[in-house]
Amino acid sequence: MHELGVANEILDVALSEAERHAAKKVTSIRLRVGVLRSIEPENLFFLFDHIARGTPAEGAVLEIVEEPVRVECEACGVSEASSFTWECPRCKGSGVKVTGGDSLSILSLDVDS
Amino acid sequence: MRTDGNVRIDVERSLLQSADEAAAAIRALLSERKIYAINLISSPGSGKTTLIEALLARFDGKGGVAVVEGDIETEIDAERIRKHGVQVRQINTRSSCHIQPSRLLSVLREMDLSETRLLLVENVGNLVCPAEVSLGEDARVVLLSVTEGDEKPLKYPLVFRTSDLLVITKTDLLPYVTFDVDRVRRAARAANPAVEIFEVSATAGSGMSTLLDRIEALRATKN
Repeated sequence: MHELGVANEILDVALSEAERHAAKKVTSIRLRVGVLRSIEPENLFFLFDHIARGTPAEGAVLEIVEEPVRVECEACGVSEASSFTWECPRCKGSGVKVTGGDSLSILSLDVDS
Repeated sequence: MRTDGNVRIDVERSLLQSADEAAAAIRALLSERKIYAINLISSPGSGKTTLIEALLARFDGKGGVAVVEGDIETEIDAERIRKHGVQVRQINTRSSCHIQPSRLLSVLREMDLSETRLLLVENVGNLVCPAEVSLGEDARVVLLSVTEGDEKPLKYPLVFRTSDLLVITKTDLLPYVTFDVDRVRRAARAANPAVEIFEVSATAGSGMSTLLDRIEALRATKN
């Protein structure tokens, strides 16, 4: 998969949703991407632009809503981090569980009908 | 830029949906035939094919092992496995950095799995893409050789989060490399508290029987 695979999935979903709503053009696409997915946004934008050419999603803007890593610490409870960690961001203790940050989903599309 | 006639459609859909559907079809096929499937993931050269060979030796005479080899190019690994007299198929992924579940599904449909009890899938050698996609496996095994460095679970968290077994390989080389086994264990446990960790050297033979016993026990859970 990685960025090209992700770009292909975004295009497939966007085009089928646009068709379902009889929309002529997809103008923007909002995504939720967990930081644990290691997606490079610039790379994703570039690939999406390329594969969307000649489709109703040509020129559509991708907006990424970043999902942080969720860290559960036995001592401090839940906190967030911007990258994978095995230490609690607050107390630096190692009794932590990483419980979020791997979302990869399409939230919404803006379309011209 | 929202203009007149521009509407927002809420979708809330996982981008992994179509891959997940293919994985579910694989899972159904395996469960119908009571086949236990293992998805092996690692960097190139960490010991996936060697572990498969050790498993073939362990199950020799007990029958029922089939292997699917995933590589960007070549039949090298499939030929290496074929010498063991088991059913093996090679998937060349070309531009894709992992085995696609839809590809695996069609390969499995072509295979004769009537005698198969254990399916070993060797994924394409890297720690990124294979981690993102389920192949409908019963167990995911990530291998990490001591020559790769102990920061791998921090750099590639997803694969360590999603694996059931972590196998630290080539431990006979520990005296010659800088590799903090405890650091890897801690990071892997933070990523996945349920992970089972094994330390092995296929060359020296240490730790191998413990690992093979565990895999044999796991396979027996699906009879």
